[in-house]
Amino acid sequence: MDKLMAVIRREYFERVRSRWFVIATLFGPILFGALMFLPSILTARDQAKGPADVARIVILDASGSALGERVAAALSGGVSASGKSAAVRPATSATLASEEEAATSLVIADSVRGYLVLDSATLAGRTARYAGSNTTAMLDMSTLERAVQRSVQLMRMEAAGLDQATSAQLTAVNVSMVTERLSERGRTDGNAFSGFLFGIGVAMLLYMTIFIYGLNVMRGVLEEKQSRVAEVVVASISPSKLLIGKVVGVGSVGLTQLTIWIGLGWVMYSLRDKVLSRFDAGGLPFAVPDIGVLGGVFILLFFVFGFLFYAGLFAAVGATVNSEQEAQQAQMPVVLLLLVSVMFLQNILMQPDGTLAVLLSILPFSAPIVMPMRLSMTDVPMTQLLGSLASVIVGAVAATWLASRIYRVGLLMYGKRPTVRELAKWVSRR
Amino acid sequence: MSEPAVSIRQVVKRYDGHLAVRELSLTVPKGTVYGLLGPNGAGKTTSIRMLLNIIAPDSGEIRVLGAAHDDPRIVDRVGYLPEERGLYRKMQVRRVLRFLGELKGLSGKEADRRIDLWLERLGLKNGSEDWSHAKVDELSRGMQQKVQFIGSLLHEPELVVLDEPFSGLDPINAQALKDTVVDLRKQGRTVIFSTHIMDNAERMCDAVCIIARGEVVLDGKVSEVRDSHSARLVSISFTEAPSTAVHAVLRDPTIVTRLDDSHQVVEAELAAHASAPALLTRLISAGASIERFELVRPSLHRIFLERVGATDVEVGMTGHG
Repeated sequence: MDKLMAVIRREYFERVRSRWFVIATLFGPILFGALMFLPSILTARDQAKGPADVARIVILDASGSALGERVAAALSGGVSASGKSAAVRPATSATLASEEEAATSLVIADSVRGYLVLDSATLAGRTARYAGSNTTAMLDMSTLERAVQRSVQLMRMEAAGLDQATSAQLTAVNVSMVTERLSERGRTDGNAFSGFLFGIGVAMLLYMTIFIYGLNVMRGVLEEKQSRVAEVVVASISPSKLLIGKVVGVGSVGLTQLTIWIGLGWVMYSLRDKVLSRFDAGGLPFAVPDIGVLGGVFILLFFVFGFLFYAGLFAAVGATVNSEQEAQQAQMPVVLLLLVSVMFLQNILMQPDGTLAVLLSILPFSAPIVMPMRLSMTDVPMTQLLGSLASVIVGAVAATWLASRIYRVGLLMYGKRPTVRELAKWVSRR
Repeated sequence: MSEPAVSIRQVVKRYDGHLAVRELSLTVPKGTVYGLLGPNGAGKTTSIRMLLNIIAPDSGEIRVLGAAHDDPRIVDRVGYLPEERGLYRKMQVRRVLRFLGELKGLSGKEADRRIDLWLERLGLKNGSEDWSHAKVDELSRGMQQKVQFIGSLLHEPELVVLDEPFSGLDPINAQALKDTVVDLRKQGRTVIFSTHIMDNAERMCDAVCIIARGEVVLDGKVSEVRDSHSARLVSISFTEAPSTAVHAVLRDPTIVTRLDDSHQVVEAELAAHASAPALLTRLISAGASIERFELVRPSLHRIFLERVGATDVEVGMTGHG
């Protein structure tokens, strides 16, 4: 036991002391902070100058009505608002082509963002045409569309005999949908979208940590082989203990890093309103859903056993190779196994309770990533949750057993990489 | 004496169809320096690894310090310096040594105390410099060898196994190693080392075992081994160049079976039924003026050549200093 502790201590402290660990641990929260706050802050800034920018266009009005003026007024923020307004140029079907050419050169010279063509089809409520440099900006386009739509409605209402004020009042409808997630625990914080983001966040964090620290175990094994220190060590401690010590030691480093990241993330999250108000930005575009203490414990368990599963496989890979280059190739099957869960990320996000999602959350190689993701997005039945955890634990035990068989032989083998048949022989060797 | 330090009985190890060790049996008495001699590929390292329970024998029995070789209790009483040396390159010297000590059951504190003593003793720590905080990477090869050597002795093992300890050592470090081995023996510890440098073995070992192709060719106390190969070799120096009559005597196959003629000095191997005095009498009567006539006891090197065969040795020697 003391010897096992010595191995764990060495693996842990040699890594925690390294510059790489310190940098990654500090850089992580900075990245999270940026991901958390920057979108809100930048959106706030864009909104501040937004309307004026959308209004920086030319309206070519070939409708033969006052539609152009109305759209311009709507874009500048209503009749009363004093803001920049779009220039309206009346046109006929004969002059439209030359007007468009002139407007195009204005866009190219960047004095306007684009031009909007209104004609009889627009008046009939069918189409309007826009050409400009900002056609990919979805927010701008929806603002334009809404302005045109509303202007046409207003004109029709007035034509039907309603006065301007009444029409304006009638069309001033801007419904935004507020969603709420209902679960067994009742009403939870946050909407579907925030659960979505949180799910991706959890999946990516688990994927990254398992991947990085799994590779770390592999490199550690390879280093012991390359430096030939392995032989001295296995003369004092059995290879399976050495393997367990290594995996536990490296895993603890990962857990330490995760704890620091989550801790700092939580601090930033709880200070979010103070930070954002300094930048005059609104609330965060997402909220952390309440997954409950039990949910948190399950996510932790999935990380631990998922890591054990992959660390065992990576260690076995490390024991069969002689150099970094060989390791690059040999690790592919394990990496692909890990990648499966990320490859189907989108499908799972779309249908967190779909057959694929359920299947992937029960298979031992994808469950450590997919199940926590589902857990933070939907309500997973307890039977599935426990079944998945059992599958991951069985997988981890099997992987560790397999790895220790391969490790034991591979650690002192140099030269040619073993074939699959030879590997099978290693596993069955006494 | 009580039970021997190591006893190996009919051990067999087979690798993918080729027999690395065949029915190897040997006994290492307690408190001796024991040499395991043989060309490369003879099965020395495999035997040592089985002895240390790093690999399992296919059959046979190995007992170490009075217990089965895989008894977990003996691990801490054995020290090992493998042929392929290596340490964690990015680790500080002290931390590596402390780790190796802890793996042998030492407390960190006790390990630290001994590390200081050893570093001072082998010149890695003194008033002006202290290498204990340097990374292994920053040390010269010779220093790394010393650190590794300290690592195998830190827990004061009763049995020390050194696999090719002299390979890659400069003369100064080699001397330091020899001194340490002599000290260990004085303290009553048992030392087993493998080598193919016969000269070292002859000077340091109480007993040797020569193995080749996975088998014991010869074993026993060094003095006995040499006695059993009774002196059949005569070295003769002449004050003046030997005459034809003298040459005729030296080439007489009933007296001399093999002659190594270096003009002033010749080495003659006596024929089966001839004796040294008879040769001397014949030479004098042939008129030889002899300065020195010496019966040479065969060196281990010569015995080794004789028993293993020169071709094997040459194969074994290539690539090694």
